[in-house]
Amino acid sequence: MEIEVTHREQVTIVAIVGSVDGLTAGELSQSFREQVRGGYVRIVGDWSGVEYTSSAGLRALLETVKEARQRGGDLRLAAVQPDVLRVLELAGFTGILKLFPDIEAAVGSFRS
Amino acid sequence: MSFRRLALVIGSGSVKCAAALGLLKVLRREGITVDMVVGCSGGSLYAAMIALGGGVEEAEEKTRRLWTREITKRRNTKALFSAILPRLFGFDERFGLVDDRMVLERLRAAFGTRTFQDARIPLYLTATDFHTGEQAVFSSGSLVDAVRASIAIPYVFQPWRIGERVFVDGFLSDPMPVGVAIKEGADVIITMGFESPYQTRVSSVLRFAFQLSSITSNNLLRANFAFHNLAHHNEIIPIIPQFREPLHLFDTDKIPYVIEEGERAAEQQVPYLRKLLAASASS
Repeated sequence: MEIEVTHREQVTIVAIVGSVDGLTAGELSQSFREQVRGGYVRIVGDWSGVEYTSSAGLRALLETVKEARQRGGDLRLAAVQPDVLRVLELAGFTGILKLFPDIEAAVGSFRS
Repeated sequence: MSFRRLALVIGSGSVKCAAALGLLKVLRREGITVDMVVGCSGGSLYAAMIALGGGVEEAEEKTRRLWTREITKRRNTKALFSAILPRLFGFDERFGLVDDRMVLERLRAAFGTRTFQDARIPLYLTATDFHTGEQAVFSSGSLVDAVRASIAIPYVFQPWRIGERVFVDGFLSDPMPVGVAIKEGADVIITMGFESPYQTRVSSVLRFAFQLSSITSNNLLRANFAFHNLAHHNEIIPIIPQFREPLHLFDTDKIPYVIEEGERAAEQQVPYLRKLLAASASS
């Protein structure tokens, strides 16, 4: 899994390439935690390169969204691929996370 | 991440559950052994067959013989009258519009007098207690009884009595019983589940009832799966086959296609499973 962090306006974009699973979720959690604890609580997860997510990946997402919201921010996902979207839907995550078709829309959602 | 016990969970889904045989093909090809199997409703048939140690072809053949349209052909006329005129004909909890003698006959042909003790790996089949709504987990006793209880489709087959308790279909308490595998000590859980189809046309009372049942069970599936994902200490790997064509309750002629889609969906997880196994072996 590769993680790239960039900043646009007042939003942090965390782009992931690869699988978010039991072997990589720890690294992802760590990366998100660094952002949130560093005060970057408005986060967009660029999920266009995520090909798979398992329960461990879902737990990493939940941990981050809770911490970001507790600090007044949010974690929003952009460009979630169909296979991953099915898992997010089945696990009820589409009911608690805001999803956007692309990065622009996700970053823009923090303006309103 | 390391693990010691690998579980396979097969949820409800009637004929779609045959996709578990495609998954089994992939696991066997990869030399991945399962330490326990959990099954619910249609999934209980395959969980039982897998735990008994049969081959994929044998299980496919058994399904073709067992799950045909004929098992719902003979109506339970008394039940129909009892629903319309309950005072006259007497209505009770053992309501089902289909005469269940043939399905029972077929289950006996498939499993004979075999019990859970005959399973090569621990096997758990789920049903729902009709009176309390609680999930019932069978791990001993007759396989025919447990499977019959697990597939007691509401309105179709009458609830099944075992001893003092009456059971209905397992999907009513949890359509994909991952919690059973968690409770029984599984680390990595491979789960195959299916959402109930929605009716394209609500043209009868039965279809209306099925639609309501699908809405409830699909929401239950998502809610339970969400909780299990967050509660589990290790890994849950969902395998969700995608079917391009609609599948109905008794489309047994489409079983080869269903198996193929199960195999295709399972193959996508093979690289990750291999990595997990390698990580576990080196830890």
